[in-house]
Amino acid sequence: MAGVVDTIISWIFWPPLFQLVIAPGLVAALAIVIFILWFERKTAARVQMRVGPYNVSPRLGGALQLIADLIRYSFQEPIIPKTVDTAAFILAPLAMLVISVVPTAAIPVSPLPWTWPIPMEHSLLVALALTTLSPVFLVAAGWASNNKFSVIGSTREAFMVTAYELVFIISLLAVAAPVHSYNLVEIVEAQAGWRMFAILNPLAFLAAFIAILMSTSGFPFEIPESEHEVVAGPFTEYSGLLYGIDMGAAYIKRYVMSVLLTIAFLGGWKPLDPQPGAGLLAGYIAPLVVVLVKATIVMAVMSFFRAVYGRYRLDQAVDLAWRVILPMALAGYALGLIYGYLGVI
Amino acid sequence: MSSPGELKLSGWEVGETRKLPGMDVKKIGKDLYEIFIGPQHPGSGHMRIIVRLDGDVMVEVDPDLGYVHRTMEKLAEGRSFIKVIPLVERMAILDACNITLPYVEAVEKLMDIEPPERAKYLRVLLCEINRIASHLYGMGIFGVFLGHSTMYMWPFGDREVFVELAERLTGARLTHSYPVPGGVRRDVPEGFTDDLRKAVRYMRKRLEEYRKIFLDNPVIRARLEGVGVIPRNLAIELGIVGPNLRASGVEYDVRMVEPYEAYGELDFEVPVFEEGDALARAWVRVEEIKQSLRILEQVADKLDKMPREGFMHDKFWAKAPKLYKDVYSREGRVKLMPLFANLKVPAGKAFARAEAGRGEIVYYVESEGKFTPYRVRVVSPSFRNAIVFKYIAPGHRLMDLPAIYGSIDYFPPEADR
Amino acid sequence: MSLDAVRSRAEEALRGVYTGVEEGKGFVAFRVPAERVVEAAEALKSAGFDHVKSVTAVDRPKEGVIEVTYHVSSYSDPELARGIVGITVSLPRDNPRMPSLSRIWVSAEFQEREVFEFFGVVFEGHPDLRPILLIPPLAEKHPLRKDFIVKEEQVYKGGITKLEQPP
Repeated sequence: MAGVVDTIISWIFWPPLFQLVIAPGLVAALAIVIFILWFERKTAARVQMRVGPYNVSPRLGGALQLIADLIRYSFQEPIIPKTVDTAAFILAPLAMLVISVVPTAAIPVSPLPWTWPIPMEHSLLVALALTTLSPVFLVAAGWASNNKFSVIGSTREAFMVTAYELVFIISLLAVAAPVHSYNLVEIVEAQAGWRMFAILNPLAFLAAFIAILMSTSGFPFEIPESEHEVVAGPFTEYSGLLYGIDMGAAYIKRYVMSVLLTIAFLGGWKPLDPQPGAGLLAGYIAPLVVVLVKATIVMAVMSFFRAVYGRYRLDQAVDLAWRVILPMALAGYALGLIYGYLGVI
Repeated sequence: MSSPGELKLSGWEVGETRKLPGMDVKKIGKDLYEIFIGPQHPGSGHMRIIVRLDGDVMVEVDPDLGYVHRTMEKLAEGRSFIKVIPLVERMAILDACNITLPYVEAVEKLMDIEPPERAKYLRVLLCEINRIASHLYGMGIFGVFLGHSTMYMWPFGDREVFVELAERLTGARLTHSYPVPGGVRRDVPEGFTDDLRKAVRYMRKRLEEYRKIFLDNPVIRARLEGVGVIPRNLAIELGIVGPNLRASGVEYDVRMVEPYEAYGELDFEVPVFEEGDALARAWVRVEEIKQSLRILEQVADKLDKMPREGFMHDKFWAKAPKLYKDVYSREGRVKLMPLFANLKVPAGKAFARAEAGRGEIVYYVESEGKFTPYRVRVVSPSFRNAIVFKYIAPGHRLMDLPAIYGSIDYFPPEADR
Repeated sequence: MSLDAVRSRAEEALRGVYTGVEEGKGFVAFRVPAERVVEAAEALKSAGFDHVKSVTAVDRPKEGVIEVTYHVSSYSDPELARGIVGITVSLPRDNPRMPSLSRIWVSAEFQEREVFEFFGVVFEGHPDLRPILLIPPLAEKHPLRKDFIVKEEQVYKGGITKLEQPP
């Protein structure tokens, strides 16, 4: 009997499956995104002298509103117009969802080797490379819709990719230089106590934070889906469950990039320090929870911007990225190189 | 409305420059991408804007009006004079008093009567309340066009304060129908002026917060500075009205130029800005709200001092039945008099204008001496501002169109009448 | 009082062109023949009246004319801003044509389109004369003329009809 339970547990917690599907993969992503969406709507409402989600579960403060919305989208009839490219129309959002979750396979949540899904030797590069895959599906969704507003939205997303991609990569590489390795585990191990890279290298942290906002349509960069010039950008023709997936995919991508940001800049699972002999709970679950909590805090800070900022114009956002944020990321990278040369870490 | 394929510019070649008064216009055209920002669009209101894009730059913008046309000028010819008041009020129910006031003034000019002093102050009271509510609505729509949802919720919430004051005064939240030929329909209830002063203090605090979150917000300033610039001579040439005109350096406000009602005795300023871009227009509206608050305080003081009678001209009040006067002196409320049902206005032509929230509204009323007018012509401020789309928007990027649209505070039902 | 100053300046500008003066309540209107309206407009523009407030057309079927009035005023001149001056042109009702004043006053452009669709007055030389508020089939009927009667809806008095089966 104990053998059966042990086998089942070892199947569930087999790292490739666990990390990709359960946590920090799909299931945790959905749970945290639902929480963050509720948080965003509630804080925006409080700032704006309103109440926010309330009626669905008054005693919880309306927290189950998002579940109700998800159920509503699931039961709505997805209308697929005749003039669209059907295969691309249906597959693009699904592919975007799946590809957004894939980078979690390359992100370690614990220093113990039996918890890594893939060898973590160059995990920073692998994770970065995997995060760059998803924008093409957004462009494909807009193109497949056969609608002028969708094409304009897709074009804007393509422009934004040229703005944020380089910034994100350079600022994340800035943490690899002091540690002399691309191994995310070693990067986390080097940040002990208050020596988080967010404090030691604030330029790179800020550049990466802004790049995440740009890449996932966070205010003030909510440009591809801006409601008032292009009706919903690339997602104009979508309805039903596909629309729900589209709206959630941006937040899931934001979650994955926040997890990467937490590992690289905010010290990952520190101050917990699992020893090599630790069991499942202390060695795998506990550091995972710490990482998720930190990622949620990062996403919650991003939600506050919704109530305060308007929307940049496309050329102003690209201009800002190339004239201000990219030099900041390069300066952060140079700072990282200096740390590496002087052997500070 | 018209079909866009026929937008002929009568033999205008590509690259040819033509002269119009005060400006040179040059045609650019290559492969143009035409989109309809049409009636079913979150950023268009009840109108269609036909935009031709060259990449991201707008080359031609054609406003397609008329989706909310309600044939007010034709209907007015078949209704008695008093029934035209609720008809024209529906043009822009946000500042209902400002819209119906010139019509009532024109009818009064034809009848050669003038309302008593207290009625004039009551009209000014409601006009300024409506002006504040209208500017807050305009700023709310402006904020949401730029994606700033807080600037959408706050003005609409603060507008409730003034709409409720209007409801206490007239009985309806938005469709007041308050001025009638000869005076106004009701007097102020008890305790109204104290609540008015509280509302004025509250609004002054809130304007400070608007400045911090919207007008000084770096993102909003980047979106609005230098966008939709209307230079002074072009503003005069195009004949635009209202805060858009005052943001371009022209000091013109009908309340100062040709004072009507009690404005000649009140002390206020007209804010004028020089830059003429979208940010200046937003600033003009905020400053105008401050001036309106000033006027409200003065009116409240005056109304407290004046005796509580004489809000209707004696020509009508003297003929009112005794029951009316008894109810009024006992309870302070009165209904619309049946004398208005067959009001016969002497023959003549009258022209009257007022400063509504969005600009100057103009009425021309012609009467033949019968029970119904012969011709009522109304030119609303938004219709005169529609020309900004055609001449100012080209040359900007597509994402500037909501900024321009929101900054000129274009209101389609008012323009289409 | 202030209207007199405006009236005298307008009279001076339009000397020899106008054929009649009419003082309405709140404005002064000068009657101008249709051939000389461009000259009158240019004279008023150079006198300082720089924008058009309203282009009004009144249909008088009894006299067989459509009268088009341009009410103009001034933004830049504070003395002229107080008053409103009108130019009235009388056009024959069966063929109302007149030269367009939108080359002189751009502010009249959209309002001339409106008068075109509602009354059928053709403004020659207008850059873009097409209906602005109405759809073209309705604009051809020129709704604001006095002979366009708005038909009230009737009450349906019949019973429920059975659908006819196709043969």
